[in-house]
Amino acid sequence: MARMKREEWFDIASDVDWTFKFVDREAVFPEWMSGKGKAPFEAWLSWDEPYKISYPEYVANQREKETAAFAVKSLLRRSKTFDQLDEGWKSVHKAHYGAVALIEFLAILSELRMARFGLAPKWRNVAVFGALDELRHTQLTLAFAHEHIKEDPQYDWAHKAYHTNEWGIVAARALFDGFMMNPNAVDIAIQLPFTFETGFTNMQFVALAADALESGDLNFANMISSIQTDEARHAQQGHPTLEILMKHDPDRAQWLVDKTFWLSARLFAILTGPAMDYYTPLAQRRHSYKEFMQEWIIEQYLRTITSYGLKKPWYWQEFVDGLDTWHHSLHLGVWFWRPTVWWKPQAGVSRAERRWLLSKYPDWEQHFGWIWDQLIENVNAGRIDKTLPETLPWLCNTCQLPIGTAASPSNEKYPIRSYQLEHDGYTYHFCSKPCRQIWWKDRDTQHMKTIVERLLTGEINPPTVEGILGYMGLTPDVMGDDAYKYRWAEEYREPPKQAAE
Amino acid sequence: MRNPVGPVLRMNDDMDAIIAAIRADNPNKEVEVIDRTAYVRVQAEDELTVRRATLEDHLGRPFQMHELERVLSSFAGRIESGTDSIRWYLAA
Repeated sequence: MARMKREEWFDIASDVDWTFKFVDREAVFPEWMSGKGKAPFEAWLSWDEPYKISYPEYVANQREKETAAFAVKSLLRRSKTFDQLDEGWKSVHKAHYGAVALIEFLAILSELRMARFGLAPKWRNVAVFGALDELRHTQLTLAFAHEHIKEDPQYDWAHKAYHTNEWGIVAARALFDGFMMNPNAVDIAIQLPFTFETGFTNMQFVALAADALESGDLNFANMISSIQTDEARHAQQGHPTLEILMKHDPDRAQWLVDKTFWLSARLFAILTGPAMDYYTPLAQRRHSYKEFMQEWIIEQYLRTITSYGLKKPWYWQEFVDGLDTWHHSLHLGVWFWRPTVWWKPQAGVSRAERRWLLSKYPDWEQHFGWIWDQLIENVNAGRIDKTLPETLPWLCNTCQLPIGTAASPSNEKYPIRSYQLEHDGYTYHFCSKPCRQIWWKDRDTQHMKTIVERLLTGEINPPTVEGILGYMGLTPDVMGDDAYKYRWAEEYREPPKQAAE
Repeated sequence: MRNPVGPVLRMNDDMDAIIAAIRADNPNKEVEVIDRTAYVRVQAEDELTVRRATLEDHLGRPFQMHELERVLSSFAGRIESGTDSIRWYLAA
């Protein structure tokens, strides 16, 4: 028997709504949870997802995806592939698992908020698929990491990280609580599916898969690119939401995209930037972080947002300029504060690696080379204590990343300084003007005490490096150290060979 | 290429057949293929369509349009998905 085409029945099946008799619609979809704003209820009923899928189709696809992901995992379990991976590359894994696994879980809750409070029945249906997707991602990420705990306790942080106050996790929690948990359904749709999943997750889940495969890590490449096939579908919740918002309240839409874009860019500069430009073994690096950002964000994502009538964010040039700076500054900081992370940062500044960095970032030596030279001198003189922290850096009240990491010391356009704001007798500090602007306008959803503020108000005791590490949950068996035990610095004991240079 | 749109396909056994089907369904367009090993970007200017029947011809087996999702890690532009075809497009 010939089956009806999906188009012939799908709208009837997916557009089933309640007719409320005993309560007002406002009580079922309160503004603080649904966020219809200036668009009346009737306007939201035109919501129509562009990427359509029925429940049987969804289940069939997900079954195949899971089978494929776990088939590769099972196969590689019997091989020595993991043992042969570069120690620097393993840090990409560890940072990813810790920073991402439970955010996938948080995303279930965001999807469920849209599944309950989304303002159209079609939207609520799609969000249910989104919640199931994110459940798969949580389980997949935890399962893949769990397998390696017996070899390396740092993998345990896949589950542990968000149960600690580790500083990077505090930064990630501030971002994700700010745009996934605190807002209403409409704001979530613009911030999570439209801005984060249509734009930035492509960097960590598709572009990074290219580095993973080159590095011989088929398992990780397979897992993350499988996850992104779900994201590509449920991210489409953002588009019809944005279309309606652009008709009724374009200023709100612009602000939501601008804010989330900036904060995501800051976080990806620390998560994806060092992974691509420092942790991926040199022989396997094909493209730089900046080149991938050019491909995925500046070209692909920017075209998408402008096609809806949105403008480039007001700070666009500062963001573009930051592609030469932010992740290098952040990498330097992570390496220096390496006991405070749950992976082993690979310095990535051997002479050959510096030549590569210079070929991709012509100002790298001017901004960062001399700092690394000093660190290398200390390493080779046996003064490792001079390459380790004695306290914490001042942190931005919005992105929670160190002040100075949206800048570099010899950069006249973006010098290292705090952008301050006095409010109710308290001085807040920010890494950049956009972070200050975002905090001022959205301080109800972006307000989290930084680790430094906790230190100064007596929450961390004793206020020493040991006390700080204890507060962050870092035990000696887990805290980070140089991935290669400083072997990369040995070549600097000799002057560079001219012929090779 | 101005205003490129199209799928980003994750590594899979059917890659060549899918790309051939996309080329066949867009005979008057310059279809650019960018291979980054773990993913392949297939793109053309303004609009790109692929039909289920063409995919079946090139794959040599029955194919449901929704199955493309299994290898569709991302896409440039907007999407319009149906039972018999998928279209990627973006107003310039």
